[in-house]
Amino acid sequence: MAIAAESLTLGAAIEFLKPATDFVRRGASHAGLTGERLGVVELVIEELFMNVANHAYPSSAKGCVDITWSVPKPGLLTIEITDQGTGFDPLSKEAPGLADSLDDRPIGGLGIFLVRQMTTSLEYRRDGGRNRLRFEISASSDD
Amino acid sequence: MDAESAPAFEDACKSWVDQGVYRLVIDMSELAYVSSMGLRSFITIGKLAQEKGEHLRLCRLAGLVKQVFEITRLTSIFPIYESVESALATE
Repeated sequence: MAIAAESLTLGAAIEFLKPATDFVRRGASHAGLTGERLGVVELVIEELFMNVANHAYPSSAKGCVDITWSVPKPGLLTIEITDQGTGFDPLSKEAPGLADSLDDRPIGGLGIFLVRQMTTSLEYRRDGGRNRLRFEISASSDD
Repeated sequence: MDAESAPAFEDACKSWVDQGVYRLVIDMSELAYVSSMGLRSFITIGKLAQEKGEHLRLCRLAGLVKQVFEITRLTSIFPIYESVESALATE
């Protein structure tokens, strides 16, 4: 049983990015994450939230994002992000080229790469017409 | 610098380039946060400066921002300096 857990449903649009990050920062505080680790949580949520806002739903449709955080034990935050948009596994994206030349660098494509680098136990599943992405962030960057 | 604020940074840099200022030095010491949308803006401006024969120069990276630039190996692409003065002094 988790020490603490909360869920929130928001519109999948940029104007809800701040409520989304504020909500998850509350979970991070419960888990005892501080300093740069709070920034990591904010970064990962922005990348995944904006991924849904920009790509999950047709531009003519309004969709939602469900966010759940839980603290299974002190120092560990678990987050699940769910949407009812087009089936898409962000983890199936090929890793971006990290060439040392600016000419060879694409402008985008770093968001999911950062999420992969900064989380643990990252899992995607398509379940009942929903995309579900689950991951953990710990209080220590060494975990 | 997130999805909401990155466009303003990018527009400001483009405005300098439009005015003929190609040597841009960004003091990152007050920047506590950067997401991929911010990185996109840095890469865009870097390419723009390079087209004009210059380099986007970054200085005083710290904390999470430094970590993000290192993970994405952008520290290998942009010249990084310890101070604004050293960034300006280098040809």
